[in-house]
Amino acid sequence: MSAPILRVSALTKRFFGVTALDQVYLDVREGEIVALIGPSGCGKSTLLRCLTWLEQPDDGFIEVTGKPFGRELTPGGVVRRQSRRQIDALRPKIGIVFQQFNLWPHMTALENVVRAQIVVRRRPRVEAIRRGEELLERLGLADRMDRYPHALSGGQKQRVAIARALAMDPALMLFDEPTSALDPELVGEVLTVLRSLAEIGMTMLVVTHEIGFAANVADRIAFMDHGRILEQGPAREIISAPKEPRLRSFLDLVQADRRPIHPLTPSNITE
Amino acid sequence: MHFDPTVLADYWPLLLQGAWLTIQVSVAAMAIGYAAGIVVALIALMPGWPLRLVTASYVETLRNIPFIILLFVVYYGLPFAGIRLPATLVGTVALALFASAYYAEIVRAAILALPRGQFESARAIGMSPASAMWHVVAPQILRALVPPSTNMTLTMMKESAVLSSITVPELTYQSLVVQGNTFAPFEVFAAVASIYWLIASVIAEASRRLERRVGTAQAESVSRNPIAERYLSLVARRAS
Repeated sequence: MSAPILRVSALTKRFFGVTALDQVYLDVREGEIVALIGPSGCGKSTLLRCLTWLEQPDDGFIEVTGKPFGRELTPGGVVRRQSRRQIDALRPKIGIVFQQFNLWPHMTALENVVRAQIVVRRRPRVEAIRRGEELLERLGLADRMDRYPHALSGGQKQRVAIARALAMDPALMLFDEPTSALDPELVGEVLTVLRSLAEIGMTMLVVTHEIGFAANVADRIAFMDHGRILEQGPAREIISAPKEPRLRSFLDLVQADRRPIHPLTPSNITE
Repeated sequence: MHFDPTVLADYWPLLLQGAWLTIQVSVAAMAIGYAAGIVVALIALMPGWPLRLVTASYVETLRNIPFIILLFVVYYGLPFAGIRLPATLVGTVALALFASAYYAEIVRAAILALPRGQFESARAIGMSPASAMWHVVAPQILRALVPPSTNMTLTMMKESAVLSSITVPELTYQSLVVQGNTFAPFEVFAAVASIYWLIASVIAEASRRLERRVGTAQAESVSRNPIAERYLSLVARRAS
């Protein structure tokens, strides 16, 4: 089997003594979609921020397409923090779509996709525009290229953000809660977009707390709580036969609203 | 005793000379002060407390002493270091120093007011901090910078009157000269007040135009409140 696109080992992050990530191990193989689920505050978003080095992990290693990212082990066995330039050079390989998309509001949709290609990948403007137009067209935004972000709907903004990341030719795409900033009826649309990315072989790590969405989109689900990945496996198995008790209670909790409400009786009031 | 502006007839050239120097000094101090202010603001925003400590003490020192004292300290202090410079040059630099502390705070506040995600999304895609500032942060804060910067520039221009006390022949200095020759203080200072007023209104008008220009270039990017945002996105969806 080929080397994983993303390999996270023993990743640890503490905030003022609070452990947000506790020895996280995670592999994502080429073409795979992994969903990361867990209750809020469990460290999912911190993990994504560490994977893009927006937050510096205190310990552990990240490898992207086999290359160390952020911190590396020298041949002498010494752990060395990479220079800012080294880190920036690898960053385009990891595309991230933020929860609030963070499009640049002073640029048109197309310019959002074009600018980083010119600045970071040093592409000629003509080529960057061609690539940008091609991506936006593929994401169904052919008639929205000259719009500014405020004139786009949430779903359109998200697709621009996806195009912006894809234009850098990433090896891996990270999604932070892709369904949470959108109206519920758009969840299906996100699903379609992610599936179309999967078809072209994109590797993805999707953070979500919507179990249904995770089960629908992912090949594999990893469950995280208190900064640790407690259980991971094929999506269907995780949902239908969870082993870890905390995962079981988490699934119960998030699926509770689909079950009939128990009538209030004196016995469960006192509980 | 009666108001007689004709006494000024012979002295207009002197006052205009003074006004011209006031304008030159103010423009130079603004350029130097703003450049220094941007540098100080960017250093203040870098990670690590030693740098922040340096910039914070720079800003606090300059803000917490009266400008006239700052001017005297610089003007009478430099000769102790063996440096003798013309009063106009020293005065301009002191004025720039004074303004730079306030400009730095204006720039820093504008950068901090921008959602952090803007800078972060630029960094995460691989832009260097400088590129992220240039391509993403700077264009978005330009407009917010104009009104407070104008305020500070007006204050600084008026504060340049203090340079008269170290013999810089600017407008106030010249007015004192004219006043000494004519013994007509009210007429002289009334005239000088109007000249200052005129310079200030030119600056204010220029700033209004600048704001409008930056404004039209950026009207599209104005961040709206959540309700407007939602309404606009509904409109956008209906159009599609």
